[in-house]
Amino acid sequence: MTEPILAGGEPILAARTLSKEYGTASALVRAVDDVSLTVNQGESVAIVGPSGCGKSTLLYLLGGLERPTAGTLALDSQPIHDMPESRLARLRRHAVGFVFQAFHLVDELTALENIELPALLAGASPSAARERARDLLEQVDLSDRAAHLPSALSGGQRQRVAIARALANRPRVVLADEPTGNLDSAATTDVLRLFDQLRTAGQTLVVVTHDSRVAATADRLISMRDGAFVDETRLTGGSARSLTEITGLEA
Amino acid sequence: MGRALLIWRLALGDITRRRRQSALLVAMIAATTATLTLSLALQGVTNDPFARTRAATRGPDVSALFEPGFHGTMGTLAQFAALVRSPGVTASSGPYAVARLELIARGYRVRVHAEGRDRDRAQVDQPLLTAGHWTADGGVVIERGFAEALGVHVGDAILLNGRRFAVRGIALTTAMPISDPLIWLTRSDLLALAGGSEPLWESLNLKLSDPAAASAFADARNPPNAAWFLESWQELRADDSQTIANERQVLGIGAVLLAMIAIAGIAVLVGSRMAEQTRRIGLLKAVGGTPGLLATMLLAENLLLASAATVIGVAAGRVIAPELTAPGNSLLGSAGTAAVSAASVALAAALAFAVAIIATLLPALSGARTSTIRALNDPARPPRRHPWAIGLSSRLPAPGLLALRLIARRPRRTLLGMASLTIAVATVIATLMERHTPVLGVRVAGNILAADKQASLEHVATVLSVILVVVAAINLLFVTWATVLDARRPTALARALGATPNQVSTGLAGAQLVPGALAALFGLPAGLVVFGLTAGNPLNADPPIPLLLAVIPATLIAVAALTAIPARVGARRPVAEVLRSE
Amino acid sequence: MAEPNELPTPEPLQGYQLRVVQEVLLALLAGEASHGYQLRARLALALGPLAGALNDGQVYVTLSRLEKSGLVGSQRVGQAERPDRKVYSLTRQGRERVDTWLNDVSWPKPAPAEFHLKLVAAAAAGLADPVGIVDRQRRELLVGLAQAQRAALAEPPRSVAALLLEGVVLRLQADLRWLEACARYWNQARER
Repeated sequence: MTEPILAGGEPILAARTLSKEYGTASALVRAVDDVSLTVNQGESVAIVGPSGCGKSTLLYLLGGLERPTAGTLALDSQPIHDMPESRLARLRRHAVGFVFQAFHLVDELTALENIELPALLAGASPSAARERARDLLEQVDLSDRAAHLPSALSGGQRQRVAIARALANRPRVVLADEPTGNLDSAATTDVLRLFDQLRTAGQTLVVVTHDSRVAATADRLISMRDGAFVDETRLTGGSARSLTEITGLEA
Repeated sequence: MGRALLIWRLALGDITRRRRQSALLVAMIAATTATLTLSLALQGVTNDPFARTRAATRGPDVSALFEPGFHGTMGTLAQFAALVRSPGVTASSGPYAVARLELIARGYRVRVHAEGRDRDRAQVDQPLLTAGHWTADGGVVIERGFAEALGVHVGDAILLNGRRFAVRGIALTTAMPISDPLIWLTRSDLLALAGGSEPLWESLNLKLSDPAAASAFADARNPPNAAWFLESWQELRADDSQTIANERQVLGIGAVLLAMIAIAGIAVLVGSRMAEQTRRIGLLKAVGGTPGLLATMLLAENLLLASAATVIGVAAGRVIAPELTAPGNSLLGSAGTAAVSAASVALAAALAFAVAIIATLLPALSGARTSTIRALNDPARPPRRHPWAIGLSSRLPAPGLLALRLIARRPRRTLLGMASLTIAVATVIATLMERHTPVLGVRVAGNILAADKQASLEHVATVLSVILVVVAAINLLFVTWATVLDARRPTALARALGATPNQVSTGLAGAQLVPGALAALFGLPAGLVVFGLTAGNPLNADPPIPLLLAVIPATLIAVAALTAIPARVGARRPVAEVLRSE
Repeated sequence: MAEPNELPTPEPLQGYQLRVVQEVLLALLAGEASHGYQLRARLALALGPLAGALNDGQVYVTLSRLEKSGLVGSQRVGQAERPDRKVYSLTRQGRERVDTWLNDVSWPKPAPAEFHLKLVAAAAAGLADPVGIVDRQRRELLVGLAQAQRAALAEPPRSVAALLLEGVVLRLQADLRWLEACARYWNQARER
């Protein structure tokens, strides 16, 4: 499909004809097939599709955790598809924050310690990291859970901690992989509220999901099937219909 | 039949799926069984040689030495010779002329106890030739321990009181003189050498009808001022025992240390497999397997591994045992090499199977007790939380932070790995001390046997420390692997959160280097203690301080080298694979 | 959408297509006698952002109709400096009606037969690609979902209107899932 031209800020992510193959020639799986995508500053993009459609692989490619088989990829205007691992790791610190379906909090660290971890790994001073973590914890409304271990938190709280952690180094883009996949409806609402706040605050966001509720928080929705983009929908600014009309309450 | 086949296939499948872990389990059990085989074989050796040498040489029940002018008092040669007619004596040999001669060979000048012998085989105390031939004019036979210490072989030339002799043979006996090294030559040669300058001594060897009463027999005929001295075989054995006591001590301590290292390794191994196997039992229970079937499968798997380990361990024990008992001491190895008996194989196998059964029972019981749901939901042992370690580590640069947190996460494993390293370092230190203990007057007559004993101790200690270091290295490798595997998710996560591969691999290696450094620091004094236990006061020794201190950096370098590869592999694993939603 | 019942046939309303407004008003009056404006405020609160189209006159029109049917009685209350206001209260008949309504388990029919038949017909006649129809519909629903979702997230937590919006969102989500199933089916049908 053609590359959509979007208004907005400078491009944070720019993928050109990106492909990722797994396996050997006899059993080749093309998880991502010739995908081009630009995500601009402040934009919120959802990638949806059935499981196994390659959307998670695409997300890890975009975050530089996987290497593409073909194509080019620029993160924050720097080509990363062939960047040496160590340089990429350092770039990632301030460019990308990850949110995972399984939360991936460190079990033996408290909520606060989990959140300050990326800052510490990036070489921030312990006091600065701690202060940032406290701010973020307040932002996700879990200040009273600072000293709790993940095992003492509900699923929704864990994911909010994980989102706060993703924001620790003020990344240019937050990449989320099925962020509500392990959550019930109420916890999903909490996480969606947080994403909506981030979007409103201008945080660039790419979320991969098969949950249309999550997808609906984005500005732009991309459907993926068999490793390729098949459809794109703008969710904001387009419709003039009122809410009551949409919901069928008004004639 | 179908059930047995199913169990067999499940067990084999599990082993092949976890090749590395299985290999490590085999290695650890094999090290333990090898140690056991070895120490059992050596126990046999250290208990046997006197009796075996005595039987082989028709060793005397009482050995008597006539020393005119030495004690300088009562008794004549005729009276001494009459001892053979004492009641209870059933056989005898001698009297043989004895002289103290000066032997020069390979730069040593040594006073020796030379006995003039007949060509005929003696009825009592016929030394057992281990090389060459019995005495002939112009040729001497040298006691083996002495020959080893001197470094002379059959065919070599030596000087006796300035006269040239050829070494005709090397032999063993239980009738060893108290202080001086022993040689045999023909009576005519001896008389020619002694030259009447000194009064000749004579020796007698007696067999008694009641060997148990030999001490009483000797005591009754050892008046305070007699010109002769009788020694019972029990006393002779006591002298020998003194010789081998140190060695047995070294071996005993070595076996204990080895067992400790091996147990540490197996504890880490069983501990790290347990969580996974508990989960597996839960999983199979969920799909309808009975706990009995699962325990049987686990047992089959562990027994299979234990059997392989027993074969390898016993074989290794057999290869190494002769190394420890090789020539080097006149008594220890003299009566034959260490034999790996059926009983010791059985015991080693029993130990291996005991380990296998324990490694089965623990997860089987915990799997049976844990509800299926919990086993499936809690995949791993929850890591430990140590607030001090987390607080301290947050002040460190990224590799230090990762290392300290990895250590704090599994403190027991770290301690076990550290203990095994400490033991290895201590052994190396003790061995170095042993090697550098000066033997006073090593080139002076009378002490050359001490040098010989020293050499033998060094040999045993060296072989032991090599085994210990190898086992500790295997342990270290395994602990590193276990850490790498266990930390798969945290390290992948650290990389996703911004750690570079180098930081992660430095952190993984650092998690072993920190305990490695502590092990080196603790191992140094511990080694001195071990040395003190085996060889007396370390303060008497002349400790090779620079060498001992060099052990610390050497340990660190060894640890870094051993952990580098697993740490590197662990840090370069694809991150996405681990973190992707499962 | 609601089951037709024996209530006076509702005239086509200009504003809200909420046929149950009558029952809701009756039920609200069961608690205490209220002014019309009080009832309207309560209704608006429960509907949250969906109350936008609630016609100003709708509550009063409905109330007077209920009064004519004898389900509601009224009393004029004098107000200083302002025209008198009516206070409405429930009659015994009205009370019965409320009980019947509360015990009624009829539910909006969920079978999306219309759309389904549209797809089948389009495919059979070869007039249009069913997959295209599905995609268009999906986009439409997604835009709606996004809007409902934002409205829901904008509500303060634990607001009663958010609960209604969540219902809207979850229904749209269910519809979208069904559309995914449609897309899969018609895609395969096209390939066969």
